[in-house]
Amino acid sequence: MQSRSDNILIVEDDAQIRNFICYALKQEGFPYMTTGTAQGALSLLVSEKIDLMLLDLGLPDFDGMEVIKKVREWSEMPIIVVSARDQDREKAAALDNGADDYLTKPFSATELMARIRVALRHLYNIGSHHGQTSISVNELRIDFEKRLVYLQDAEVHMTPMEYDLLALFFKNIGKVLTTSYILKEIYGIGYGTDTQALRTLMAGLRRKIEKYPARPRYLLTEIRVGYRLADE
Amino acid sequence: MEIVQNNKGIEIIRYIFIMLLFICGATGVGYFFRHLGFSETNIVIVYLLSILLIARFTSGFVYGIIATLIATFAFNYFFTEPFFTLSVNDPAYLITFIIMAITALITSALTSKVKQNALEAKEKEAEASALYMLTNRLTDAIDIPNIAAIATSTISGIMCCRAACLCFDENGQPERVFIQQQDNEKQVRREVDHIEDMRHRIDSLRTAYDISAEFYDWPIYGREAILGILRIPKETAVKMNEAHMRLLRSMIESTALAMDRFRSAQERIKSKEEIVQERYRGNLLRAISHDLRTPLSGIMGTSEMLMDMIKKDDERYTLAKGIHHDADWLHSLVENILSLTRLQDSKLMIDKQMEAVEEVIGVAVNHIMQRSPEHEISINIPEELLFVPMDAKLIEQMLINLLDNAIKHTLPENEITVAVSEDKKEMQAIFSVADRGSGIADADLSHIFQMFYTTHGKEADAQRGVGLGLAICEAIVKAHGGTIEAHNRTDGVGAEFIFTLPMEARYDAKQE
Repeated sequence: MQSRSDNILIVEDDAQIRNFICYALKQEGFPYMTTGTAQGALSLLVSEKIDLMLLDLGLPDFDGMEVIKKVREWSEMPIIVVSARDQDREKAAALDNGADDYLTKPFSATELMARIRVALRHLYNIGSHHGQTSISVNELRIDFEKRLVYLQDAEVHMTPMEYDLLALFFKNIGKVLTTSYILKEIYGIGYGTDTQALRTLMAGLRRKIEKYPARPRYLLTEIRVGYRLADE
Repeated sequence: MEIVQNNKGIEIIRYIFIMLLFICGATGVGYFFRHLGFSETNIVIVYLLSILLIARFTSGFVYGIIATLIATFAFNYFFTEPFFTLSVNDPAYLITFIIMAITALITSALTSKVKQNALEAKEKEAEASALYMLTNRLTDAIDIPNIAAIATSTISGIMCCRAACLCFDENGQPERVFIQQQDNEKQVRREVDHIEDMRHRIDSLRTAYDISAEFYDWPIYGREAILGILRIPKETAVKMNEAHMRLLRSMIESTALAMDRFRSAQERIKSKEEIVQERYRGNLLRAISHDLRTPLSGIMGTSEMLMDMIKKDDERYTLAKGIHHDADWLHSLVENILSLTRLQDSKLMIDKQMEAVEEVIGVAVNHIMQRSPEHEISINIPEELLFVPMDAKLIEQMLINLLDNAIKHTLPENEITVAVSEDKKEMQAIFSVADRGSGIADADLSHIFQMFYTTHGKEADAQRGVGLGLAICEAIVKAHGGTIEAHNRTDGVGAEFIFTLPMEARYDAKQE
């Protein structure tokens, strides 16, 4: 059991789910704190040093969405949303409000741990990637300085639009980017409704970097929400 | 308007009497004129006047024609020389006779025509007021028997008979009892003698009405089915003329309209109630399913942790795995029930958008591969990106159900294929999920999409979950306006499920 220093806050009103998440975190060696209410979460966030928050959207006192908005006023900490609701709009809204990732109940502990690891790595990479000219995920490498992409060290020809899209994913490895966020970043404000154009662009990109475009290894689809660049 | 019941003979005698009276009168006036020394022309005019009056006070052309002849001969007999014979001395009188006869004929014909028109107008007016009275009374009706009672009493009053009415129920079957007008106030209920026989006769009816022992039966046709039968007693029915028939038909039509209106109002209320009930049930199911997810997450997570704590050769590991497996199965059931309630909310919850087919398939396959990594699933999609309007969540679930089904019946070393192609001619996308498993038994093929149908003859546990999964697939495809079919592969063992989705939104569910 290795020991880690990242303090994780679990905001979940169901005791059973809280228990198994605690156990899973203990196994991984994470220190953690728990609360069952949004109010409790906010007071802990103010008083304690929290590095990552697991947040259930359906809390008894008020909506978890409000917690995200409040936290984002002062902190960039990774927030992983856990929700029993399967409404895509809510997921997308949570992500647009600043959440980093989401999980739908029921989820496996393995998956939860994977998401936590990705979120933490992303947190630390923000600093280390800064000024870094090249990042690779598995066999895919991007060179920000030369604006070039390599697959197994062979250069892949990209259109400027495709490069911008891929670069956006590389800057947010592991994070779910909502369709509206991507559209805003790539096409600019005011063009953010043509999801079909984005899908066509994604399809083109996948055909260049994926071995099986219908079973992507790098660029994963989150139906009705957005896309993510998988890093493991 | 009453049915003419007086003896026709009396009428004829009355008319003949009127005719003779006028001609005698005219002859008397003629003698008086001659006595005063007026010319014969005046006498001719008096005869013409009498013929005009005869035509006015009798009915039909016949009396006018007869009166014309009699008047001509009377003039000849009494007023031309030689008197009291039918012979004439002055041949110029022949011209007088002919002109008198022609003038009299035309006058009498015109008069009877005017009378006929007036009579018809009166009949039409009576008809209209009768119809108005009926529809007016029918608007106050509160139910079908009430409509029948009102129609019976109104028609009885108008036709001067003891009419009756037999209603048919909502399934188009005649009721056992019909009502008949007894007198002005009273209606009696009578049993139908040979209901099957009657039903058969009405069904095979080719004419406007049917003749039975006691009644002439007019079916009351609604928009969709026969609503009832209006019965007119035989002795009245045989005497009805064209105008009566026409009036009766109109009245039956008004009755049919009233009954139809009432029926459709009733159906609307009923279907509204059903929708409310259905929605209530759907909401209940959805709430339950939602609340099930949270404890299921707890059970699945905890059992997973238990498995993590225990060594794999420990029998407690198998027990924990059993818990996890069952919870997982319950979870997929909950997801399916949620989809089903969404679908049953009558398309309202279907959110169709243009989706890239490869993305939806990729997500579904990814989901299955995480659960069953030992299986290999190959994907066969067109090189060109294909957009199809669909509710991506539902289609994803459907693909998961089909793949799940394929995995259950296929050994890990045998291939499972997901393929999509575009049918440009029919403007549809064709999806196929094929396996190399044991295939589908012929006995099961026709039932495979039925809800809660599970295949026979195999161990129950292995088949669990099939019952709802494929039924939902069918519901999802139907909600999208597509088709689904299952068959065994012809190129070897295995089963294949093929479903189609229209490439263009044929109806947009969101607009409702």
